[in-house]
Amino acid sequence: MVSGSGKVVLVTGASGGVGRGIALACAEAGWTVWVAARRAREGSEVAENVDAVGGRGRYVACDVRDATSVASAVQAVTLRDGRLDGVVHNATSELSPRPVRLVEVPLADLREHAAVSVRGTWLLARSAFPHLRAARGSLLLLTSEAGFEGKARLAPYAAVKAMQRGLARALAREWGPHGVRVNGLAPLASSPAMERAFAEDAAMRARVLGRNPLGRLGDPVREIGAAARFLLSDDAAYVTGHTLMVDGGSCPVT
Amino acid sequence: MTGDPRHASERARPLILGTDVAAVRALAGALDGRLEWVPAAEGDAALETWRRRCASAAPCAQIVVALWSEIPPRGDTPLTDMDADMWETRAEAPLIAWSVALAAAASRCADGGAVVGVIEAPAALDAAGFAPEVGLAVAVRALARSLAASEGARGVRVNTVTTQARLGVEPLAPAPPLASFPGRVEREVAGAVRLLLSPDAAGITGGTLAADSGRAW
Repeated sequence: MVSGSGKVVLVTGASGGVGRGIALACAEAGWTVWVAARRAREGSEVAENVDAVGGRGRYVACDVRDATSVASAVQAVTLRDGRLDGVVHNATSELSPRPVRLVEVPLADLREHAAVSVRGTWLLARSAFPHLRAARGSLLLLTSEAGFEGKARLAPYAAVKAMQRGLARALAREWGPHGVRVNGLAPLASSPAMERAFAEDAAMRARVLGRNPLGRLGDPVREIGAAARFLLSDDAAYVTGHTLMVDGGSCPVT
Repeated sequence: MTGDPRHASERARPLILGTDVAAVRALAGALDGRLEWVPAAEGDAALETWRRRCASAAPCAQIVVALWSEIPPRGDTPLTDMDADMWETRAEAPLIAWSVALAAAASRCADGGAVVGVIEAPAALDAAGFAPEVGLAVAVRALARSLAASEGARGVRVNTVTTQARLGVEPLAPAPPLASFPGRVEREVAGAVRLLLSPDAAGITGGTLAADSGRAW
């Protein structure tokens, strides 16, 4: 039984992978889950999946890079459900798994990484804060072990994921007096994004699994989604400014 | 040209890739470094032009990157009150500039050399109002770790130093351990940089030294 029934949460990038896993884990607690994504067909399917496992699923179009789109998505939630208890920023650039040498990365690609991960964080925080304050809710940022240890061939991704960790820490200080919690979650999950990364770099699967004490990737619903649900729930009412690693113990940096 | 001892001696001085700001000049002076300006606040096109020029420049064994704004950020604007211009100026533009400059520095660093990024950020306890700076500092540390991993095979080390010397932070309790808080660019910050550039730090890469009188740990 998850503490805090009847929550209304919005999950970005929830049309697949880890975002979908978080949406379904929240649905299993009976929560209302807004699947925020650009891809309408896939997003609507996940919303139907949410209904099927005990939640109330709703799709809303959202491009986290765009202020108007983010504001509209948040407004859609509060107009329909009258509250917003949690926001999960999971969306990440489609460039994330593409191996690059940092010195050669086009500036437009750096901009794209920044827009999705860090501008998206700011826009969501700005639009959602009044509602999270009213609900004494929380913001959860999906980061990565790359944001702790860096990545030789995924440096732009590592940088934006790290920046989200810092934003979570600072926002926890800013929002704490208002009763709003801010946390991070660094998963290592089986997902389409991870499969794309493995496809781009043939040795990566062995490298990733070889150093993982549990020797496997996390399940997006049962393991990653459940951890996200905990951080959003009242069970985590005293947890803020923290980034929880759910990575099978693989990250060497704390 | 390359055999001229004057050029050899010039190349032996640390190269400071920085913004045209008094505190960066002070850091360069304390390190006896030679300055090259990075157009960090002049837009992506200027940054791209600089990156191309940097790629064909002579290598250097010791490089310091310090992209500081002319007016230090103040902690009086909550993240949710920032407008798009402030967000761009304090978060996205610096992130792009640091990504470009630190990578260019690591690429230009001679085999066996050292790169140090010096980033301004308050400690976690004092982070309210400084969300972009705190985020940027963590991002720069990740960039340094990424570059430490990619350039380590050439013996190039990449580290970071954090400082609060210019930020005007009012620390929450408990007070920083050393009365020297927030420290001075010319002394505490330059000292940490000097250590990381030196052979005494030959086994240190991907790390961060907080030159902040013990405020952050």
